[in-house]
Amino acid sequence: MRTSGSQLRRLSETRPARNAESQSASFIDPAALMRIENLELRAKSVVEGFLSGLHRSPYHGFSVEFSEYRQYSDGDDLRYLDWRLFARSDRYYIKRFEEETNLRCYLLVDLSRSMGFGSLGYSKAEYAKTAAATFAYFLSLQRDAVGLVTFDEGIQEFLPARFRPGHLHRVMLGLERSLAGTATDLGPPLEQIAKTAAKRGLIVLISDLLAPIESLETQLGYLRSRGHEAAVMRVLDPAEINFSFEEAVLFEDLESGRELYVDPQAARRRYLERFAEHSSAISRACSRLGIDEYLLPTDRPLELALFDFLNARMRRGRQTARRQRQARRGGKQGGG
Amino acid sequence: MGLLSAVYLAGLAAVSLPLLFHLIRRTPRGKQTFSSLMFLTPSPPRVTRRSRLDHLLLLLLRAAALCLLALAFARPFLRESALLPLADLPRRRVAILLDTSASMQRGDLWKRAVAQAGDVLDDLGPTDDVALFAFNDRLQTVVDFAASSNAPAAKMDLVRRELAQLKPSWRSTDLGAALAAVANELDAPSNDEAAIAEPHLVLISDLQQGSRTDALQAFSWPQRVPVVVHALAIEQPTNASVHLLADETESESAEPRVRVANASDSVGEEFYVHWTTSDKSATDDTMVPIYVPPGQSRVVRLPRPKSAPMADRIVLRGDAAEFDNVHYVVAPRQQEVAIAYLGAEQADDPQGPRYYFERAISGMPLRKVDLRASRVGEPLSLPGEKPPKLTVLAEAVPEPTREALESYVSSGGMLLVVLKDRPMAESLAFLFEGLVVGDETESGEYQLFGEIDFTHPLFAPFASPRYSDFTKIHFWKRRSLTIPPGAGTRVIAWFDNHEPAIIERTIGAGRALLFASGWQPSDSQLALSTKFVPLMQEILDLACGRQDSLASATVGQTISLPQQASLQPIVVINPQDERIEFAATTENFDQTDQPGIYRVRSGDAGLPFAVNLDAAESNTAPLEVAQLEQLGVRLAKSVSRSERRLEQRQQRDRELENRQKIWRWLIVAAVAVLIFETWLAGWTARRIRQTTEALA
Repeated sequence: MRTSGSQLRRLSETRPARNAESQSASFIDPAALMRIENLELRAKSVVEGFLSGLHRSPYHGFSVEFSEYRQYSDGDDLRYLDWRLFARSDRYYIKRFEEETNLRCYLLVDLSRSMGFGSLGYSKAEYAKTAAATFAYFLSLQRDAVGLVTFDEGIQEFLPARFRPGHLHRVMLGLERSLAGTATDLGPPLEQIAKTAAKRGLIVLISDLLAPIESLETQLGYLRSRGHEAAVMRVLDPAEINFSFEEAVLFEDLESGRELYVDPQAARRRYLERFAEHSSAISRACSRLGIDEYLLPTDRPLELALFDFLNARMRRGRQTARRQRQARRGGKQGGG
Repeated sequence: MGLLSAVYLAGLAAVSLPLLFHLIRRTPRGKQTFSSLMFLTPSPPRVTRRSRLDHLLLLLLRAAALCLLALAFARPFLRESALLPLADLPRRRVAILLDTSASMQRGDLWKRAVAQAGDVLDDLGPTDDVALFAFNDRLQTVVDFAASSNAPAAKMDLVRRELAQLKPSWRSTDLGAALAAVANELDAPSNDEAAIAEPHLVLISDLQQGSRTDALQAFSWPQRVPVVVHALAIEQPTNASVHLLADETESESAEPRVRVANASDSVGEEFYVHWTTSDKSATDDTMVPIYVPPGQSRVVRLPRPKSAPMADRIVLRGDAAEFDNVHYVVAPRQQEVAIAYLGAEQADDPQGPRYYFERAISGMPLRKVDLRASRVGEPLSLPGEKPPKLTVLAEAVPEPTREALESYVSSGGMLLVVLKDRPMAESLAFLFEGLVVGDETESGEYQLFGEIDFTHPLFAPFASPRYSDFTKIHFWKRRSLTIPPGAGTRVIAWFDNHEPAIIERTIGAGRALLFASGWQPSDSQLALSTKFVPLMQEILDLACGRQDSLASATVGQTISLPQQASLQPIVVINPQDERIEFAATTENFDQTDQPGIYRVRSGDAGLPFAVNLDAAESNTAPLEVAQLEQLGVRLAKSVSRSERRLEQRQQRDRELENRQKIWRWLIVAAVAVLIFETWLAGWTARRIRQTTEALA
């Protein structure tokens, strides 16, 4: 799997996320963002703000991937001369890029009823939709094919990964639908993708993953089954993370409708323990399966989420390139 | 201390509610939706510090205010302060109205009715006045209010004795008239003492649908007279009745038809009818089954049994109530009447009176007339035969035959004389004493009937104004007669010149009638008028006795006794074979107290007539009491003496409370408590605030 590594590298070099928490005032507040009705407009605001913050034009060389260096010979385009390497080694090298390929990315958005919870004035589903729209917009900007699957206990919306005029708009419309389902079942959407996506691609699952860990692990295994690259984004409300309730009330399960009398003061400690246990179980499963896992609290600016994602992709791309070089080198030695 | 509306004391329970709510555990106030309960464990409900009572005095004050309010609404009063004597209840005038109609003979209805009346008597107070009425189709005052009203105990004994002697009759039920009459009696007290007393009507009846209530429709019910209805119902309500359908045209050979009606509350539906005789000799060989659903009636042909052609009653079987299961029938028998005509006219001569007389008396269904024409001097009847009932004389009577004719009349015969000419009139002086015959007038001037004595049996049927117009009958030829006063001769009709037209004289047991003008067209228009045939029928009735009026009657109906020529006393033999004698002039018989075959005997004639139950009496399905209310009757519930006592006591309690009005003071106290409570609450709040500020 190749991604647009050069651009990602460039992004990672600016490192805006290192001190993102302290500088979060420069990003758009999610609550303000959610007030924008149009999903496309939200995505645009996030992506363009994010890109303008990099002080780089986003329109050059995003979809070619760096492969290796070769020695400069006359007539080569000076644009591709690596000046830094020249500074270090006093030799002229030209960067070589791999053949341009389009990335196929499937966005899997969980729209089950549990995603309807929100303590900040907007729900997790809103946040998840905006995140998905942002990714879709960002990817379509660099001419990558984007597909969409929304699901609850079954598939609600399925759009195959394409890059063509109007497709982005259809993705946005597909994301607009409201919450309906009562349960979360990852099985059907993943099977659907396994059936339709013959070429390998990137699968991004946006969900709260609030389900028993046993079934989750099996279902996450599907993500990698066909050799797809996978990423899981856990959208969680701060109230779910901290359990910041005070009053003793009847808690009603959004999906099953079950009611339980809970005194938060008494139950908080146990909740946090079990929540952490669940989270670490997911993390373990993800790392076992080679899936990137990101935590997306709904009070966190989306630019940061995008940046984290791209950063991680960058790192992975770098590791891949290194592995490839090592493999090639090893091959040459073996051959020589 | 008493309470008028103790129900409001339930309001005291409200005092405990806030306390209760405060002390029981707090239930969660709201709901929190959450994405998943998978990490949550249920918590046991907590008891918080709110369970403690902080301001006990305030709570007590509020509770006290609520208590006072509840007590005020309960309207207390002090019974000790005014002990009113409670012994004497207001005096009542109780009229017990007992149904003695035929339907009360069913089952044990009568026994229960008497027991009910006994219960009403037992419940009477020492000051109450009582009267006992019995009713069927007429009202009978058994014991009056006026009877020994100053000795209550003696009167009670009298009522009980009379009650024990009462028996249900065979008559029908006129409930409306009886209720109206007794209500009037109760509403119009005879003296001041009675006027103060409360009127009270107790009706004890089976309230059958066949009761007549039409008298109530035009009656304005006195509102101060309440009626307590004790409706008696029977366990086996099946009741059917049987009636023979009368048919004018039916001949003797036709099969009689019988209608069987079933009451609407009946249980049984299958019945049998058959003929029988008084000695039950007729067997059941002609028993006809009939299926009648409740509330309907069916007609069935019931041939008379050949073995008993004299059967005079139809019996219904399969019915629980026996009282109306026999229908008595007297077969109408054709009367054979012999009439002698003394005259020279030919039967087919339309100029003579005989031609018209023969046609007027023939063709009657109930009489078979045997007219024998002969001449004066010939014997009136063959040897061994009875003399004719009626003899028409249309020619002069020679001297030798006068005696025979006179003896015929005085022995009970009837002579009808049609004056032909002056010699004939003169020959009749032996019959009509002092008769002076004038010239025969045949002037161009005609005469009409002037005055007619409609009280005479001959003209009595014409007495109604619809039939009394005789002014269209012209008389051209007539004999001028003069009757000396006190000659024992009665003028029945006069011409308009005040000369007698028809005269009558009673001789011995018989009578003689004389027409001053003939009815043939040469003399007058009488034979051609519509009055002629009925007039001749009346003459026949006078001579032979009335036949058709004795066919059938219902119990209690008045029967017209036959008018007869003879003056022998009339004897009526009732179904119990008891002889009741009447003078010969008696016209009506009203002692038809029971159903059965009655026989009238006058002279040698014996006429049977049947008396049956009123058909309405067989309709024994119960009448809705509400229907009486619709007719304006003020119904009341049966209230025993102890209940009346209680009601009286409550009324006095109300008066006491109204006078004392303790509730006002309780309201004032509640308001005072609330004012103090408000002040205390304010003071407490201020103090807490000051303490808090001081601490801050």
